[in-house]
Amino acid sequence: MLEGLVSQESLSLNSMDMSVLERLKWVQQQQQQLQQVVSQSSNNSPELLQILQFHGSNNDELLQSSFSQFQMLGSGFGPNYNMGFGPPHEAMDECISRTSSCHMEPVDTIEVLLKTGEENRAIALKNKRKPEVKTRGEEKTEKKIKIEAETESSMKGRLNMRNTEASSDTSKETSKGASEIQKLDYIHVRARRGQATDRHSLAERARREKISKKMKYLQDIVPGCNKVTGKAGMLDEIINYVQCLQRQVEFLSMKLAVLNPELELAVEDVSVKQFQAYFTNVVASKQTIMVDVPLFPLDQQGSLDLSAINPNQTTSIEAPSASWETQSQSLYNTSSLGFQY
Amino acid sequence: MNTYNMVKQRFIKKWINTLHMLDSSIEHPLNVTERKNAIRLSSDLAIAAARSGSTVWSRALISRSGNKTTNKPMARRILKKARNRMKNRCRTLRRNGNFTAKVGVRKRTEFLKSLVPGGELIDDKDYLIRETLDYIVYLRAQVDVMRTVAAVDLVTGNVTNDRRNK
Repeated sequence: MLEGLVSQESLSLNSMDMSVLERLKWVQQQQQQLQQVVSQSSNNSPELLQILQFHGSNNDELLQSSFSQFQMLGSGFGPNYNMGFGPPHEAMDECISRTSSCHMEPVDTIEVLLKTGEENRAIALKNKRKPEVKTRGEEKTEKKIKIEAETESSMKGRLNMRNTEASSDTSKETSKGASEIQKLDYIHVRARRGQATDRHSLAERARREKISKKMKYLQDIVPGCNKVTGKAGMLDEIINYVQCLQRQVEFLSMKLAVLNPELELAVEDVSVKQFQAYFTNVVASKQTIMVDVPLFPLDQQGSLDLSAINPNQTTSIEAPSASWETQSQSLYNTSSLGFQY
Repeated sequence: MNTYNMVKQRFIKKWINTLHMLDSSIEHPLNVTERKNAIRLSSDLAIAAARSGSTVWSRALISRSGNKTTNKPMARRILKKARNRMKNRCRTLRRNGNFTAKVGVRKRTEFLKSLVPGGELIDDKDYLIRETLDYIVYLRAQVDVMRTVAAVDLVTGNVTNDRRNK
């Protein structure tokens, strides 16, 4: 079984019990042993080489942190898998902690995007659009992403029309723009001074601006994109982030598989309220937390604050089937197994 | 913060369901690799189900997961609302693992397409980025929840081990 574990791709196990200092020391050790990792993990070399070539020097920190995951392959497991593996987790935290670099609410994001897109347009009109933008910020994630994308383009269209009309029509236009969210109207692009005015170049410019806006938006989602300019670089970052997240999922599922001899989650019996409380408790973590909503999720502490979860309400691993009565019931039942010595 | 928490809660509810269903349809005992695959599969289906919207990636993830296992009925049962429209086209999905190009937006776009489920089916670069955005949010939710669950498991696992040893 251990050989099977070792041969897995993105394996490592971690614990939350390490102190920060120990973790830092471990991370330094990992960084020194980078080359060893590359040579040792033959299974992963195609991917690692690919990563090395692909990402260049921009992502050294991220690469090293992700390599520290693979380091665990060479260092062996054994029965002590509970101990001493904070760093790979910390490594993943580094992946994730890059979100801390962007301290922007989505609402502010929209305003920034609109600002940059409107260099040649009337800025006074923006103030009138702010309340509408803020109401956008209250919608759900998935809708918000699409709505914002379309709102920008429709707003852009509206804006150009507004430039030539009286400002008293603005409020009507904005509400109109709000209702036609899903449709993409004609994009009215005003040609700037000294640029070509034929239809093709205008359309092309509109398309390019739309793409660049999206790129900027993604830049706010994917951490660490601020330093990189250009489409290729940002695509690099996005690809890196997606790969990082997918690797984390792989690793976490392996960890869960190891920790759960039977296929179940020991979390069923934690009630929803406690779960919520747990998630909101983690706000006060040592790393800076994103202020708003869906796009800048909470960073979790290295050492979890489990005080919100009542220990008496977690099941033991030994009695899986007994606690699952009906679907809805089983999710929120609490059992009294807990710590009974 | 609230909507992201809602995403996470939707995900974990679906995940518990899918894991339970998977558990009942697979023979035990399983070794670690099979367990890992089952957990991975159930969580992928769960994020796709939690999204259950009109995104390409969620449908592609469903059909990809459905192709990997023999549990298509189970997958369809879990995802009552999501349709498997992409099923036929998604059969040719495969990961591009040997990407070595260093330059070019085009090559990177192709690589991103191979990463995001259903990306190959999207021609418009615009739309691809939007899909990636959505996918990243849900992927992030998956990671956060799994990490929490793993941490809880670690704590309860320690307790259970101590109890067993006594």
